[in-house]
Amino acid sequence: MVSKKMTVVNSQGFHMRPAMTFSNAMAKYPCHVIIKYKGIETDGKSIMNIIASGIKCGSEIEIICDGERENEALKEAAEMIESGFGE
Amino acid sequence: MLKGIGVSKGYGIGRVIVLSEGNIEYEYRENCDFAIERKRLNDALKIFVEKNTALAQKLTETVGEKEGEIIMGHIMMMDDPYVRSEMEKYIDEGICAEGAFEKVCNTFIDMFSSVDDEVTKQRAVDVMDIKAEVLTILTGSEAIDLSKVKKGTVLVAKELTPSMTACINKDNVVGLITEIGSKTSHAAILARAMEMPAVLSVEGATEKLKNGELVIVNAMTGEIITNPSNEERGIYLQKRLDYIAERESLSRFIGLPTTTEDGIKVELFANIGTPEDAQMALDYDAEGIGLFRTEFLFMDRTSAPNENEQFEAYKKVLLAMKDKQVIIRTLDIGGDKDIPYMGLTKEENPFLGFRAVRYCLNHRDFFETQLKALVRASHYGNMAVMVPLVTGVDELREVKSMVRKIMDDFSKEDIPYDKNLKIGVMIETPAAAIIADILAKEADFFSIGTNDLTGYTLAVDRGNSNVAYLYSAFAPPVLRLIKNVISEAKKANIPVGMCGEGAADPMLIPLLISFGLDEYSVTPTSVLSTRREISQWTKEKADKIAKKVMAIDTERHVVNQLEKMVQK
Repeated sequence: MVSKKMTVVNSQGFHMRPAMTFSNAMAKYPCHVIIKYKGIETDGKSIMNIIASGIKCGSEIEIICDGERENEALKEAAEMIESGFGE
Repeated sequence: MLKGIGVSKGYGIGRVIVLSEGNIEYEYRENCDFAIERKRLNDALKIFVEKNTALAQKLTETVGEKEGEIIMGHIMMMDDPYVRSEMEKYIDEGICAEGAFEKVCNTFIDMFSSVDDEVTKQRAVDVMDIKAEVLTILTGSEAIDLSKVKKGTVLVAKELTPSMTACINKDNVVGLITEIGSKTSHAAILARAMEMPAVLSVEGATEKLKNGELVIVNAMTGEIITNPSNEERGIYLQKRLDYIAERESLSRFIGLPTTTEDGIKVELFANIGTPEDAQMALDYDAEGIGLFRTEFLFMDRTSAPNENEQFEAYKKVLLAMKDKQVIIRTLDIGGDKDIPYMGLTKEENPFLGFRAVRYCLNHRDFFETQLKALVRASHYGNMAVMVPLVTGVDELREVKSMVRKIMDDFSKEDIPYDKNLKIGVMIETPAAAIIADILAKEADFFSIGTNDLTGYTLAVDRGNSNVAYLYSAFAPPVLRLIKNVISEAKKANIPVGMCGEGAADPMLIPLLISFGLDEYSVTPTSVLSTRREISQWTKEKADKIAKKVMAIDTERHVVNQLEKMVQK
């Protein structure tokens, strides 16, 4: 299991487009991807649960990847979030 | 006449078609064969995905990438592995495909609606939309084919879902009316992208308006005129043609730099009141934000927003505007507003009273919170801070020393900020305009607020109908002050802008060009017309007019002269 804490920097937070990009990118990894926010764990491959988590710009979150290709998955997740989803 | 909010400008005249949504009825069954129900659900979702993939592609091509993305989002929502597995769980319990599907949709509709965030709440509408569409497929019911309505149709619905809006054939539909929706809802965004007049939030529209009825949709004012007379029809047909011609003429200015005819480049910014307006400013091609009012953060609540909340709001605008400049004005509020927690008392003359920078400098803790949030936000874009209602240089000095202190503290704590953060003065009192030379030595920039400057200079409350006739930015004393402010800024080599209504006034623009104004900040909807206006002047022509006008002794003659020379 690997994990990393980071801040959501894109202005819209985890809304429709970022949630689409994120869940889509994570779907290709066999490992579990969890977004931990305010103590609640959300399935990072589920666009609906990501939207429901209401993660806003400036939120501190933790990404946890567990399983096959976990390092690759975490690296891509962090790049997306830290670059603000290319906003 | 009915009234709502005009969210996509224009005029539409046509006959009503009411879209009754009605819940899709089906028989809820239990103890079903799960293999059959699974196949039914998968087939329906497959049709849904195919249909919407084609639709998304069409939208991306005909309307825009963003609009196509909304529909792509719908597809992904239904492709969500979690959603699929939840539906299958219910089906495995023996529930029919419709029931399993609806239960999962409803869970998310409830979840999204309960999040304390407008944008997430709107996602609930998307799920409702998907739900109706898939249930229609599952039950084999017939949906109205929106792409085949007659020419000259005004669509009326409780709520326009994104998929409904996406199917609209814009050659045949001339207007949209809904009972629910705001200027930020999907329907509004799509309507604007299709340049279709739309009025949302019209109470009882689906009951009050009848199929086949002739109506005029005035999306400029948000009015729906029912049973129009022949004369009204004529008037609005002409308005519609004029509006379309005007829009086409303006669209040529999208993406162009703002320059005079002889190539002098100026900056054209927008004034905004909430972080959400930033997108609108970008949509209208503003080159920056010349005035971001911060009052919205403090209104309609019981306690002041904390540093973090303010920081987030400022940062949001900065990130949205990327490297474009954003000038944020510190709180400009006084006794005319009822904000209980601020401890403001009713004053005889609130506009000459305890307000804006005066209040802030007397409530240091309160003001420090705002300044800290601003300094922190400065790290995230190209930001500047503007101080309102300054009447003396000591006020500017005090604000600057507070900012310096905050910066020192932040440096020690390793909190990032923009070390070159610019602090400027909003010139809106005659006092500030007269001592522009003194202020220019210590301010990083000026921005002239013509509305208050005019009122304070002429001692006129423009809301008072007995004296409102005196209120005019073309009065010689106001023009002289404007000229003085610009020329003192030039002498001191600091940029000078204007963020009042004057900056978009075709009659004032030649004078501003002649005086040498660097930055024009106008409401987002006036950006393109202002760019066009500026492009029609050369410095030489503007100078000629300014020379003549500045020698005139009364407001009336100034206006007469400008009318003659500007409208040629």
